[in-house]
Amino acid sequence: MEKFIQILKNLDRRWIFLLIFLACIIPFWVPQLFDQKFSTSKETQRVYDIINSLEEGDAVFIDWAFDPTLQAELLPMVEQTIKQCFDRKLRVFIYYPYLTGISLGENLVEEIKKEAHYKDLQSGVDYIHLGYLPIGIDMMVFSMYSDFKSTFGKEGKIFKGIKTFADIKYMMSFAGSAHPELYLLLQRRFGFRMGAGVTAVTGPDFIPYLQTGQLDGMLFGLKGAAEYENLRISKGAEKEKNHRANAGMASLTLSHLVMFLFIGLGNLVYFYERKYKKSN
Amino acid sequence: MDIINAIIDNTILNPTVQIWMSVLFTLMMLSFLFKDNPLYKLGENTFLGISLGYGWVKLWEITIVPFLFRPMKDAYLDFQPYDLTLIFWMLMGCTMFFRFSRTKAWVANYYFAFVFAYAAGYEIPVQVQQLFIQGSNMMQPLFEQPTFFEISKWFVIIFGTFSALMYFFFSKPHKGVLGKTARVGILILMINFGASFGATVMGRIALFIGRAQVLAANYQASLVLSIMIIIFLFIYFKFYHKEPGLDDEQMH
Repeated sequence: MEKFIQILKNLDRRWIFLLIFLACIIPFWVPQLFDQKFSTSKETQRVYDIINSLEEGDAVFIDWAFDPTLQAELLPMVEQTIKQCFDRKLRVFIYYPYLTGISLGENLVEEIKKEAHYKDLQSGVDYIHLGYLPIGIDMMVFSMYSDFKSTFGKEGKIFKGIKTFADIKYMMSFAGSAHPELYLLLQRRFGFRMGAGVTAVTGPDFIPYLQTGQLDGMLFGLKGAAEYENLRISKGAEKEKNHRANAGMASLTLSHLVMFLFIGLGNLVYFYERKYKKSN
Repeated sequence: MDIINAIIDNTILNPTVQIWMSVLFTLMMLSFLFKDNPLYKLGENTFLGISLGYGWVKLWEITIVPFLFRPMKDAYLDFQPYDLTLIFWMLMGCTMFFRFSRTKAWVANYYFAFVFAYAAGYEIPVQVQQLFIQGSNMMQPLFEQPTFFEISKWFVIIFGTFSALMYFFFSKPHKGVLGKTARVGILILMINFGASFGATVMGRIALFIGRAQVLAANYQASLVLSIMIIIFLFIYFKFYHKEPGLDDEQMH
């Protein structure tokens, strides 16, 4: 036992890095070994139900507040949201508050359009990239409530019947920071409904907004994205084309198991040493 | 020009080259986990350079040209009274350059005065409103909550907040009831920190999973480039890298 404890005490941290690396990468090569099922949280279910309850032609505003550094967590959830909107024949307005997110969003929509089911979608009719505005969210929201179309200086059939932001039925803000709070500050004044898709790091900060009902629903990290994928798959979406987050869930689970193991071993060393020192 | 375009199309914009570059830079950045090395530094500086260059071009294209240069040109060709606002705010923005001067730096304060006045005037009312929304949500009839979990939640929030505050109350020694309350407070704080830490770890691993997905999908490139990077690191640390000596460490 003493020898084992000494090995653990002197273990180079790079072995732990290597194990985490293997735990993340192996499930991608042998996915059938790590097939898993998990429940859907009520926050994810609420986002799904709200978008599902919208009627054909209703408008949804997507606030794309992330860049490629956060795409691992947020891209799968925004992909599923946009696909669900397209399935429901909703009009999708995508706004980019950060410059570095624009090409990511444009690429995603082009990728979605390659699927046979979405190949007839047209820019300016079914969806539109509203681009970036060099103004704060507060000023943009005020401007959108004055004149939605001229705020962004864009044209298209998609704007038919949308005079102000009040004509938008639902909005989803996807961010890895406190960005959605900027909208929440103005929600009381204007009364729009919104949900959020956030990273696991920032997720806990938004729980109070769920309790007050300011956020209708929330997609929380990679698991939230995987839950959303499963909800769509259960309603008939193709599994092969909607498994971006689910593919990462096995890696997430396995890497957490490795971490639990090392936390357990660290505690074992600590308590063993404490007991050993006491007895001497 | 056509030759340059053809070269760019067949190198940087070629999908195969893009995949290999993506795998190479991922592995270069991961090589830091072994030890700080020139490959990591190259990857880091390339990332920073490209991000800044891309950001500047986009800023120029999307912000400065359409919102400043083009309206200024229109104002020059056909001046209207409302163009004065554009000129005024452009001059106010330019006052920022006075920050470079030690004696004339105060000129920029006028611009900051507008910014702070706007921020205070806008932020204070909406933030107070936000606090009221959060506060009023707490003040609900306790036993009208639908489930036992909902009722117990409010107890945890109220007593948890109170006991956590008591932990930071240092005007009396932490003995007796105060000591026990403070003990509950530290437990509440630790549970909170644990939950935040767990979510953070999950987020960081999720970010790495994004890169692992790229490496796993392009396993041939990953294998070849990993071997090349390992050989480079071996040669570098074996023959070129000089470990800092005791004297160097003492000097720092």
